[in-house]
Amino acid sequence: MKLVENKYYLKQIQIRYIVYAILALFLMLLELLFIDIIAIENITPDLLLILCVWITLAEGQFVGLFFAFGIGLIFDFISGDVIGTNALAKLVASYVAGFFYKERNIKSNLNTLRFTVVVLVSAFIHNLIYFFFYLKPAETSFWHFFLQYGVSATLYTMLFSAIAILIKIPAKEIDID
Amino acid sequence: MQELIKTILRFKVLITFTALCVISLSLISLGEVSKISGFRAIVIASISNIQRIFSWVPNPIALKSENQALRDLNLQLSSEVIKMRAALIENNRLRSMLALKDTSSEKLISAEVVNKTNVQMRSYVTIDKGSNDGVREGMAVRTDAGLVGEIVATTNRYSLVETLNNRHVKVSAKIVRNQTDGILSWEGGNYLVLKNIPTSFEVYPNDIIVTSNYSVKFPHNIPIGKVAKVEKEYGSLFHKIYVEPYVNFSSLEQVYVIDFIVDEEIIELTKKIEETIKAKNRQRK
Repeated sequence: MKLVENKYYLKQIQIRYIVYAILALFLMLLELLFIDIIAIENITPDLLLILCVWITLAEGQFVGLFFAFGIGLIFDFISGDVIGTNALAKLVASYVAGFFYKERNIKSNLNTLRFTVVVLVSAFIHNLIYFFFYLKPAETSFWHFFLQYGVSATLYTMLFSAIAILIKIPAKEIDID
Repeated sequence: MQELIKTILRFKVLITFTALCVISLSLISLGEVSKISGFRAIVIASISNIQRIFSWVPNPIALKSENQALRDLNLQLSSEVIKMRAALIENNRLRSMLALKDTSSEKLISAEVVNKTNVQMRSYVTIDKGSNDGVREGMAVRTDAGLVGEIVATTNRYSLVETLNNRHVKVSAKIVRNQTDGILSWEGGNYLVLKNIPTSFEVYPNDIIVTSNYSVKFPHNIPIGKVAKVEKEYGSLFHKIYVEPYVNFSSLEQVYVIDFIVDEEIIELTKKIEETIKAKNRQRK
């Protein structure tokens, strides 16, 4: 009986991971093809970061790190960005988001405004790292640029994360016995 | 041994995080956007094909700003045409007197913008002309208004253009009125910034900025924009000049690729000199 339960549990995990991977690819295409429509003064929300934070809060810090690194790396490849920048920024953002992960509070973490707060913190750190490599601070005023674009992008991403709260992606069900 | 495994398991998150950070940093130190090739070119081609399918999706904000830009341009051009005709006659007469070579005969490849990508402050446009049409990496791209950017990747049917409003794009530019050269870059916002112009040179709003004769990337005298405002930085010997680009990057539809690549001998010579200077510096150290 226990073996059957374990097999079922493993299959559930596999399905969830596949869903995350498909969702990541879909969001990458969305970011590359249509994000311009919702861009305000060149500022766009980072949909992939929202997904990374979601995965971290749903699956834990360890799994989140791998997904964040993978998603960031693939996105670097297809977006023409310097390879490694998105991977690093999303990795650190997920690591930070992982501190908010609590196995007993997965649903309340994902389906309440707490999620947007975690996205806000993670997006701020993500943009701080990303803009550091993007700007090469020796050449221009980092803080001026970051306050103008980094903070706006962070807030825009947070705004979009509110939409994610409404979407019920299958999250890990935990028996609290 | 068991203790070691236990320790690793206890700190697995931290160890994984550190390892992935190291990998990312190593990749950053290796990767440069100008080195788009091989696999990435294939990816760009695939995405361009998808982008073409969705290129009919209209962007109302862009259309509105394009209409406005075209009206402004039309007004400006109609008044300039008359001046230009007179100037052309005079120019031809003076050139023949000085026996100078005509430099305005670069071949232009007309292309349509298939998609605009604006991901995390990196702006690119994809055009529907590739290596099959004679487009090569390093070629300049312009519109009737002015300079757009540079080709950074090509596939058989598509090319990726890096627009001027990207942080690491630097253009050698000059002020037409006094022929002073500087370096133009983008530091955020709607303006480009022209630097390295000494404060001893007077710069006024509406001064025209074009590509410099010293540019190893772009053909010279391509219009870029006009001076919007001039700032003097405290303690600096140089002006900080804000340039309003002629091109509206958000509403690009039709562009022209300039079939011109700077003579490789010039680039090689520059590299050679740089290497010599570096070697001398190393010796001094």
